[in-house]
Amino acid sequence: MLMLQELCQWLQDLQWATALRESEWMFPIVEGTHLLALAISVGTLMIIDLRLAGFILKDEKVSEVSNRIMPWSLVGFVIMFITGILLFASQAVKAYGSIYFRIKVAMLLAAGINALVFELTLRKSIRSWDTQEKPPFRARLAGVLGMVLWAGVIAAGRTMAYNF
Amino acid sequence: MSVKDFFEWADALWVSAMIRDSTVLFPIIETVHILALTVFLGSIVLLSMRLMGAGLKQLAVRKLAATLALFTNWGLATMLASGALLFGSEAVKCYENPPFFFKMGMLAAALLFHFIVMRPTLNAEAGKARQMLTGILALLLWFGVGVGGRAIGFY
Repeated sequence: MLMLQELCQWLQDLQWATALRESEWMFPIVEGTHLLALAISVGTLMIIDLRLAGFILKDEKVSEVSNRIMPWSLVGFVIMFITGILLFASQAVKAYGSIYFRIKVAMLLAAGINALVFELTLRKSIRSWDTQEKPPFRARLAGVLGMVLWAGVIAAGRTMAYNF
Repeated sequence: MSVKDFFEWADALWVSAMIRDSTVLFPIIETVHILALTVFLGSIVLLSMRLMGAGLKQLAVRKLAATLALFTNWGLATMLASGALLFGSEAVKCYENPPFFFKMGMLAAALLFHFIVMRPTLNAEAGKARQMLTGILALLLWFGVGVGGRAIGFY
C-alpha cells in the first residue's frame, strides 16, 4: 500500500493543500461548511429514507417526497463532497493513517452502493408501490440501510478528529 | 453568583469531571450532538424551505410541521442535553472562549424565535411575506448557532 501513502504525501504537498492546512481562517471555514452541509444533505435525505422505510408521510407518494427533496439533498452533497476533498487533501497522510477515516470511506462506499442498487433495480418498479404506506421489503431495507450508513459516516468522520 | 461562579460550579460537577476524565465519553457525546444536529437542522431546512415556497410544496405547512415535529422536538432536546454535558466538562475553558458566548447568544435568539415566531407561523395560515421572512430568519439563526459551535473548537 506504499503507493497510496505516497499519493497522499504528494497530494498534501500540493501548494493549495499546504496553504489550506496552514491557513488560520480557511481551514475552519471549509471544515465548518463541511459540517453544516450535513443538515442540507443527510438531514433532508433522512426524510426520504424514512418515507421509503414506511415510517412517515405515509399518505404521500414515495416518488413525490423523493423528487421534491432530492435536489436539495444533492446540493448539500456537492458542498460536502467538494469541502471533503479539500479537507482530505490538506491532511491526506494523517487521514490515510486513521482507522476512522478508512471506516468512513468504507461506509460512504456502502451508502453509495445502496443508493445505486436502489436506482438500478427498485426505482424501475416504483409505480407499482409508490402509494403504498409500507413499500416492499427491499425498498424499506434500502431506506433503513441508508440512514444507518450515513449515521456511521457522520460518527466516523467526527471521531477522526480525536487522537485516542 | 457571578457568571464566572456559574461556569466554575458547572465545571466542578461530578458528571463534568467524569466526562473530562474519560477518553471516550466526550467523543461519544459530541457525536450524539452532531447526529442530533443533522436531524434537527435537516428538518428546519425543510420547514424553512416550505415556508419560502420550495421543497415539499404539495404538503400543507401545518401537516409538514406536524410530521417533522418529532425530529425538531427530539433533535432539539437531544442537542440541548448533550450540549449541556459537553459544556459542563469544559466550562472553565468555555469562559475564556468568545465563540462560546457568540453561540449562546445565537442559541438564545434562535430558541426565542423558534417558540415565539416559528411555531405559530407553522401552525397558522400566515401570509406569504411572514412565511418567507420566518423561513429566512430560522435558517440564519440556526446556522448561526452551528457556526458558533464549530468556532468554539477552533478558537
